[in-house]
Amino acid sequence: MTIVATPHSSPEADELRAAFFRDGDAFPVLAGRSAMVEAAVVRSFDEFIAPALPGGAALLAVGGFGRRELFPHSDVDLLLLVPVELSEAGQRDAVSRFLQNLWDSGLRLGHSVRTPTECCEVHDGNVELSISLLDRRFLAGDPALFERMEEKLPRFFSARRDELSRQLCRLTRVRQARYSDTIYHLEPNVKEAPGGLRDYQLARWLSQLRNAQSYRRSEPDPFPELANARTFLYSVRCFLHYRTGRDSNLLGFDAQEELADQPFSPASDPAAWMRVYFRHARSIHRTAARWLEECEAAGSSLFSQFRDWRSRLSNAEFTVSRESVLFKSPQLLAQDTELVLRLFEFTARHGIRPAPDSEQRIAEHLSALEQHRSAPRPLWPRLEAILSLPNAAIALRSMHECGVLNAMFTEWKEIDCLVLRDFHHRYTVDEHTLVSIQEIDGLRGNQDPLRLRFAELLDEIERPEILRFALLFHDTGKATARGPHTEVSAALAEQALTRIAAPPDVRDSVRFLIERHLDFSSVLNSRDLGEEGTARFLAGRVETVERLKYLTLVTYADISAVHPSAMSPWRLDQLWRLYLIAYNELTLELDSDRIEAPASDSPEKAEFLDGFPRRYLLTHNAPEIEAHYQIRKLSIERGVAVDVKRLNGVYSLTVVTRDRPFLFASVAGALAGFGMNILKAEAFGNRHSEVLDVFIFEDPNRTLDLNPAEIDRLHFTVERVVLGRMDVKELLERRPRPALPSRRSRVEPRVSFDSVGSSRATLIEIVAQDRPGLLYDLARTISSAGGNIEVVLVDTEAHKAIDVFYVTFGGGKLTSGAEIPLREALLSVCRT
Amino acid sequence: MKKIEAIIQPFKLDDVKDALKEIGIDGMTATEVRGHGRQKGHKEVYRGREYQVDLLPKIKIEMVVPSARMEEVIRTIVTAARTGKIGDGKIFVYDVAEAVRIRNDDRGDAAL
Repeated sequence: MTIVATPHSSPEADELRAAFFRDGDAFPVLAGRSAMVEAAVVRSFDEFIAPALPGGAALLAVGGFGRRELFPHSDVDLLLLVPVELSEAGQRDAVSRFLQNLWDSGLRLGHSVRTPTECCEVHDGNVELSISLLDRRFLAGDPALFERMEEKLPRFFSARRDELSRQLCRLTRVRQARYSDTIYHLEPNVKEAPGGLRDYQLARWLSQLRNAQSYRRSEPDPFPELANARTFLYSVRCFLHYRTGRDSNLLGFDAQEELADQPFSPASDPAAWMRVYFRHARSIHRTAARWLEECEAAGSSLFSQFRDWRSRLSNAEFTVSRESVLFKSPQLLAQDTELVLRLFEFTARHGIRPAPDSEQRIAEHLSALEQHRSAPRPLWPRLEAILSLPNAAIALRSMHECGVLNAMFTEWKEIDCLVLRDFHHRYTVDEHTLVSIQEIDGLRGNQDPLRLRFAELLDEIERPEILRFALLFHDTGKATARGPHTEVSAALAEQALTRIAAPPDVRDSVRFLIERHLDFSSVLNSRDLGEEGTARFLAGRVETVERLKYLTLVTYADISAVHPSAMSPWRLDQLWRLYLIAYNELTLELDSDRIEAPASDSPEKAEFLDGFPRRYLLTHNAPEIEAHYQIRKLSIERGVAVDVKRLNGVYSLTVVTRDRPFLFASVAGALAGFGMNILKAEAFGNRHSEVLDVFIFEDPNRTLDLNPAEIDRLHFTVERVVLGRMDVKELLERRPRPALPSRRSRVEPRVSFDSVGSSRATLIEIVAQDRPGLLYDLARTISSAGGNIEVVLVDTEAHKAIDVFYVTFGGGKLTSGAEIPLREALLSVCRT
Repeated sequence: MKKIEAIIQPFKLDDVKDALKEIGIDGMTATEVRGHGRQKGHKEVYRGREYQVDLLPKIKIEMVVPSARMEEVIRTIVTAARTGKIGDGKIFVYDVAEAVRIRNDDRGDAAL
């Protein structure tokens, strides 16, 4: 038996290797190894196969070998074409000896034996064979047999191209999912991961399948625009093979350092080198993704119908075509730089990404956008619109891919493709950031019961744009910070928000969330959640339930984006438990944690604040407190002062008066009597029996909008109701009862009592289906049972009302005997 | 050789790791687990809804050490993981017949 020279260790192979390490050019290596392997397999074919199959056989190179692109340790794919199935033992033995000889010489083989007819069949479990035939090349044997197959193949590919494309797309989706569908791995696989060489071949194969001419002959490179990316990745893969001495394509941290150190490296710093890698991988990935989407869409009539339906979303500025967005008048980009941001707002609203043509046009205007943002400009409203929409994650990813995030925020540029070595993290810093926002968007519609609880929190927060902006900047400090990055990230976010003229409350909230974004993870790792002190510590860190919700969601997103299994069910439970103990602590503090001896510029103002829950100072800024104080001054003379204001599409009603039974219920009833829908409410009492009630409500019938005089009537009515000069029941009797939603979608009411947490009051928490007049009915029921409402916090989340009352009964807590009838009465009100 | 398996409170993992590192024990496997011993579960209330938490989150750490170091390691874990309250966890010790380092075929204590 002949043993051919091992292709890895011949003098020619050594020369190729030495040349590669001088200039990093992989093409001579690929061609050289292909030629050496070709010589070896042809020799082996002549020795073992040709004598045993006198009726004719042909040896074909397929796959990478067919393309003459054998990397130093790649597998060698062969197809032995035979006229009829091999039936004689002697023939099969010859094939075995042929293969064994090559194995013994050090080649790793992939082989198949087929007739021309078998080559023209699709095998469900082995579509790769049909695809590999796109790169076939005759090596040795009977040329007539090869020609017979060549005559059949174009017809086969033409008839089955849709099926083959579909199968190829399916396999690709499975492969890409193994890498979490992202190119931005800290240690990527340069062949299999998205943006790797397999993606390049995918685009080439799909293009070949679409183009009938290329079934017969190999066409010139269909993607000249990817030439640099391909050259770069070929060089990297070649290096990895030489470095490990095997077919290893993992670009690990050590390999990154060594590559950056090579004389042919485009960058000497490993992090900078990886940025070059990601730039090339990104261009390959985008081309492959376009082909993938095109082919998948072509094969689905349901998708086509959906696509046609989506095209109706087109508006004056944008056209939706083939499930992507195009500029209607791209020339306007030159005059209107913010058109780009409006396109991404469209994407965030509808979840449709920009078309390649739009991306190209955006790329041409990036420098204008960069110039536009270099001066401080009020861009926050536009960004706020994008960040508050349900598909914000898709829009932000598109903005990143088009270079818009980098153009808008120099702070973000620093983390673009940034590789930081971390045993826990799997992605680059920018990708981790985008995945964290994706995790938030993914909560909507998530059916996992463990995640539903966090989805509810997301529904309850008022300003998702603040949450998303905080996530967008939470790790920006990682590029420059020497120590902990939270402070640096917060400062960078502040700088960016100031430049785009975000209001102070947004800046404060974002700063808080970024500065504290590691707090909950740290508590989970270092504190006993069962300790009372931990609950107090957490409550002290966040101070309000609202901030607690935001920070819980930031923590959820941050951990989930570390790697796909980082947020395990175990960790989800832990985070939820942390939220729960902090929430319960904060709710109990509402009544017990009161302002004492407040610092103020005037004694009257100090008297007004004295005894309010501390939450009042935490949830209201100085101008709001001053406005409340002015209303209070007006109330002294008349016994009551009422203020009605319009704010961002809703209204606020503020009442200051002396406390009396049924007061809160009366104001809530007056609003319900006017057909107003209460969204939020809070009621605080001070130590001097003065009460401040604030209601935020919407006007569903636009009564106040269309009849400004009605505002005065509402004002007057509330005053009369508060002073006991009008019975709120009369107002409500005139209102029609709204229809209840279907039983299935109705919120099942829950009422809970807690008389332990507060030293003097009972906490009553009610979750129920919201309806006009509900708050009035609940408050009236509590007051009718002898309860004095001390503190109220009311919130609505879609059709769910979440009401928290602190109530005293005769100056003390509710007795256990009185709890049952009150619970029944409240449940009955909720079910009405 | 002995295999030491310790079930500890999650927030004690860093303390235990640091303490073991100080006595030269670097290698261990940590797993997120749920369970309970005498501690049983507890009830949590959120917005009027009660959640019965039967299995409590714990961390299981496992390591194999030379028999001569067993007591020292146990003492270290106990000291680092103890809060004195119910739920601190348990330690189990098993005999190990052999250890092999796959990279170079080292055997016994040399493989640890």
